[in-house]
Amino acid sequence: MTVTALVIGPILLGFILYALPKGADGFARGTGIAVAALAFLAIALKPDAPDASVPWLARPFTAAFHLGYGPISYWVVLLLAAVIFGGLLAVRVPRAREFTAQMLVLQGAMNGVFLAKDLLLFALFWDLMLIPVFLLMLGWGMPARGARSRGTAAWRYLIYNVAGGLTLLLATAAFGVVSGSTDVIGAAAATGAIGEVWGAWIFAGFAFAFLVKTPVWPLHTWMPDTYAELPPPVVAAVSAVQSKAGLYGFIVIGLPFLTTQMHAAAPLMFVLGLVALLYGAFIALTQDDAKRVLAYSSLSHLGLILIGIFSFNPIALAGAAVYIIAHGLFSAAGFLTLGYVEEREETRSLAHLGGLAAENPRLCGALLVTALGALGLPGLAGFAGELLILTGVYAAGFWWAALVALVPIVIAAGYMLRLFQTIMHGPKGADLPERHDLTWREGLALAPLIVGLVLLGINPHAVASFALTQPTIGVTGVAGNR
Amino acid sequence: MSPATANFPTAADIGALLPATIVALTALVALFFDLLAPAATRRILAVLVAAIGLAGAGIVLALHYGDHTVAFDGAFVQGGFSTVFSEIVVIATLATLTLGLGVGRDDQVAGSTALLLWSASGAMLMTGASNLLTIFLGIELLSLGLYCLCAISTRATAREAALKYLILSSMASGFLVFGMALLFGASGSVSLSTLAVTQPSVLFSLGAGLFLVGIAFKLSLVPFHLWTPDVYEGAPLAVTAFMSVVTKAGTLAVLCRFAYAALPAQTATALLVPVWTVAALSMLVGNLAALAQTDMKRLLAYSGVAQVGYIVAAFAGQSAAGVRYGIFYLAAYTFMNLGAFAVVVLMSRDADAVVGVSRFAGLAYRRPWLAAAMTFFLLGLAGLPPTAGFTGKILILATTVGAGYAWLGGVLILGTAISIYVYLKIVRAMFVRVDMAHVRDERAPGALPWVTVAVCAAAVFVLGLYPLTPSNVLPLLH
Repeated sequence: MTVTALVIGPILLGFILYALPKGADGFARGTGIAVAALAFLAIALKPDAPDASVPWLARPFTAAFHLGYGPISYWVVLLLAAVIFGGLLAVRVPRAREFTAQMLVLQGAMNGVFLAKDLLLFALFWDLMLIPVFLLMLGWGMPARGARSRGTAAWRYLIYNVAGGLTLLLATAAFGVVSGSTDVIGAAAATGAIGEVWGAWIFAGFAFAFLVKTPVWPLHTWMPDTYAELPPPVVAAVSAVQSKAGLYGFIVIGLPFLTTQMHAAAPLMFVLGLVALLYGAFIALTQDDAKRVLAYSSLSHLGLILIGIFSFNPIALAGAAVYIIAHGLFSAAGFLTLGYVEEREETRSLAHLGGLAAENPRLCGALLVTALGALGLPGLAGFAGELLILTGVYAAGFWWAALVALVPIVIAAGYMLRLFQTIMHGPKGADLPERHDLTWREGLALAPLIVGLVLLGINPHAVASFALTQPTIGVTGVAGNR
Repeated sequence: MSPATANFPTAADIGALLPATIVALTALVALFFDLLAPAATRRILAVLVAAIGLAGAGIVLALHYGDHTVAFDGAFVQGGFSTVFSEIVVIATLATLTLGLGVGRDDQVAGSTALLLWSASGAMLMTGASNLLTIFLGIELLSLGLYCLCAISTRATAREAALKYLILSSMASGFLVFGMALLFGASGSVSLSTLAVTQPSVLFSLGAGLFLVGIAFKLSLVPFHLWTPDVYEGAPLAVTAFMSVVTKAGTLAVLCRFAYAALPAQTATALLVPVWTVAALSMLVGNLAALAQTDMKRLLAYSGVAQVGYIVAAFAGQSAAGVRYGIFYLAAYTFMNLGAFAVVVLMSRDADAVVGVSRFAGLAYRRPWLAAAMTFFLLGLAGLPPTAGFTGKILILATTVGAGYAWLGGVLILGTAISIYVYLKIVRAMFVRVDMAHVRDERAPGALPWVTVAVCAAAVFVLGLYPLTPSNVLPLLH
């Protein structure tokens, strides 16, 4: 019941809000915030909610509307509720009613992706979650000055991701035909359901979709524009949660069902992951647009998670799970904070920003925690994830990869501190208007994310435990029921 | 020929043809009422009579869904398969009536409605036709009405469109008849069930090939599709909507029955490979050509070319599941396409209006509900959730993969990828903020198309969640 409500509820409410008369902005926003808060409480207070399943297709393969928590997805939907709550709480946008409606649809669809225990349902929500982002970018996009015409980034986002969605669809259909059922995510002992003949093609279809979504180099070109142009609450949700859908897919679909193909693809994935790691980090050093710094840092961090997954080591897998959540926490907090900065200073160009700390100590503190989380300060969640992944990768025998992966972690300190320093310290830009500090609303919006960052840093075991009980990854399957 | 021939039509024969007969006779009733009615009520009366007749035919069809009647000595098979196709025809014709309340001026509307009904009854005949003569009868009955309907508009391009349609469609009929003659020569029978047990010969293959070319023409599959955009553009909106669904439904029924039941097992695969190839080409070329279109009717014409390609792909390998999924996708396409046409009608002042893609600019800010509906239909045509288009595509993908035509599934995905541009281009136009000063905002005079929009949207959504595929569609003959 809870899990069904988590998916259907926001979508339904979104449509109801869309149908409300114009001018119901305040009411709509209140509803949106309440829904996100309720969702957060429902997930946090009832972690053992049972699965909900209704039969869907009987032919040509079995499929069901099957939703339920999994070991990773539980934390992801919890994170998403916090991000949506924070995003809506302090956002100032025109046409807030439609904006809130779209955000709720987005939340429902993304909950669907992560809670789906049926592959076909997963594919359905995968495509569905692209549409609100596309529409939000068209309606509320914030292109940087001098950018190409409005809608270009939205278009690119959609084309890339739908292309991925389509190969996912074909792979899902083939998976269903070959295995007879798509109601498999989280099911135990399903290894070998896919034969060698089809396996490679099916894996290729899934992998393309997942790699585009993550994204990795060279499929990442949609990402910086998208992140730069999306309004802060949306980009927080997209970078924190949506971009994890691909990595999540590798863990719950790739590892248990396409084990052989995963192993075969590991060298390629290692290369792609390492390239993303290094490339993202170096580019992040040179960006002038503050949001792009975070965008490229995301590229870098997600490359690390990819390596963690493909090292087939329980510790690395635990690290990947922790880092999926950790990155969600600090990237959401980071994008929201940068949104507050841009709202005050009407620019996000690092060349123009500077010296905000003196007038805005609370804003400064928020950005500092975020930056420290992103660069992997011990005690915060990012460190726990990075350490586990690197340990696991090393233990799995890929010492060279662990060594290479250290470099961008050092660079991360460089670009995150540069970001923080340029915005908060240094000479104050003469043309910057004086603005008030972080309001209580904005503080409350960031609070759950920052608290999460600390809690997960202290106790990563909560997220990591499921993986550590797996003796050997990819032989027995990892995605057992929670 | 059995002795029973002497005293048919029997009651069973007439019962099998009853739905099509009701529709055809309703046309006469509509014409008759037009003679008596005062001028002011002509339009509403014609449409009302037609709607009642169609509804009656639809109910009769539904009551006999489970039947399997072989009527007229094997010339017409009534049952699950023909019923589902006929229902689609009936629903599409009803929807056509709501788009602008009939076609043409007040004094034309009874005549145009009658033509529409006769065309529909032709399509209904095609859905159950199981010998070559019935097939030809149905196709010609369908086409004759449409030639006139295309020319009814006062626009200059209308006559050009009608003439083009007449000439090219007649040529297609020529292919069909020649193919049928050769098939008759090879088998000595016009009955599809006899064709299926004929010794394969060059003559037979030639006949089947020409027949299939004729069918591909009528279905506007690539490379026989070039007439479609011009004809769609010239015809009045409602007629275009009708053609885009009813013609395709009737012809698909014929193609499906021919492919599944009328070809000897030894040659069927070889004879049909070109059909699947043509379907694959249609998906690619149809979508590529749609990319460049700026007129909604032309765009939907090319999109229809691709969509029919998807449906034909479902029949690949003649799998039992393929018929069901093909029919399901046809139903989905019917609702999505009619819904999209209804939106276009709501955006145009009269039936002859030219609706360019540019007219959709900023629609979401002027008429949010209309934009939401159009977005939903376009998502469906593009195969995105939560629509019947998504579910239909996954079913077709599954059946192509299962029947050993995975390459066709791959082409389908490629075609769909291209089609994302086509459909989402319009969505983007609707949701990007623009300077409204340059956008013409026309509205349809009536609100009746809204009914179609609502019904189609509901159907697309529900079918997407619960894919009701018809279960008793086989056997196609007896």
